Amino acid sequence: MDIFSALHKNVIPLLFLKNAHLRNSRTIHLSAVCSKSQSGRYKITPKGDRPLTYEMANPPHWIAHRKSWNSFNTTNLLGGLRSAETAVEDLFIRKFMVGTWHNLIANEVIIKRQHNIIRIAVLVRQALNPRKMYFLLGYTEELLSSWLQCPVTLELQTIEDKNCTIYKYI
Amino acid sequence: MFEVFRIVMLRQLLQLPAFARQCSPRLTMVTTADYRYKSFHNFAALRKESGSKSEAVDHKEDSPKEEEELDKLYKTVELEMKAYEPAVLKSYSWFATTAAKELGITVGDCWTDKKPFHERFTVLKSIHIYKKHRVQYEVRTYHRFAKFHNLTSSTADTFLEYIQRNLPEGVGLKVTMVGIEKLPDHIQAPNTEHLEQK
Repeated sequence: MDIFSALHKNVIPLLFLKNAHLRNSRTIHLSAVCSKSQSGRYKITPKGDRPLTYEMANPPHWIAHRKSWNSFNTTNLLGGLRSAETAVEDLFIRKFMVGTWHNLIANEVIIKRQHNIIRIAVLVRQALNPRKMYFLLGYTEELLSSWLQCPVTLELQTIEDKNCTIYKYI
Repeated sequence: MFEVFRIVMLRQLLQLPAFARQCSPRLTMVTTADYRYKSFHNFAALRKESGSKSEAVDHKEDSPKEEEELDKLYKTVELEMKAYEPAVLKSYSWFATTAAKELGITVGDCWTDKKPFHERFTVLKSIHIYKKHRVQYEVRTYHRFAKFHNLTSSTADTFLEYIQRNLPEGVGLKVTMVGIEKLPDHIQAPNTEHLEQK
């Protein structure tokens, strides 16, 4: 008992220590995985000049509280039909819109379905003259309605500048 | 006095399936009326049959006195509304009940389940390993019910057409109608003459 009482922590040989990180050797250092949610979140910049729209500023857990959805349909209700096909169609519509309106769309494309009508709402910059705008409007409506086989209406709202959509800077 | 011979006619949710879509691109909205008549095969037959038998029913709303086609009568029309948000449902049910009052329809119970239906699923958070870390998603369906009593088919048609055309996106509607018909002639009261004599 005297021997043990005389021993200090510093005297105990390192080899007998339980904690591996105190040993004088090169080993792999392992820690617990930190699985934070990263989806829909933007990192702050050192200068603080990254613009965010209201939609980008609110992470996904604010959906149905501060945020709304981007596509409105009854496919995911109890007993709703055709959810997969509708989702694929929505993807197609979004790609088509962004591609047709070259660098003009300022926000997310919003798709609403009522009965068999599809209504597409979008903010567009005023970079084209009205004649070209009307052409693109008719073009998208005609092609989308022939591909999706139902009436498609485009509800555009024009804005002067992309700065109109900026909510805050990060 | 009429006995009630119940016909429950179930109507599909209003989101149209793919086969109901037309083929020509530039067309007007497919009316809910077209969709409804296509899905009910015996509607015309039922209508004719009831028209010939059920004649003057004075205690219901005004039915036309033509012999050819008399309005079908409905004891109750029940609306079941489903949506992702309770606020949207509340406003839509207010709209439906106000419209009914304007048309002179007797509005019955309007109620909602306090809790929605949660459809939840759990998936792995990471693309590779890390089994202990998962993500849970859910989709909620809120329900709301409304009942209307004592309608004729023309009133019901008008009212439902108006309601359905103004259905907001993301709201589903299911209509259940309970009809009234006159008892068929071959069903009669039992013959109790032989019992009375004894």
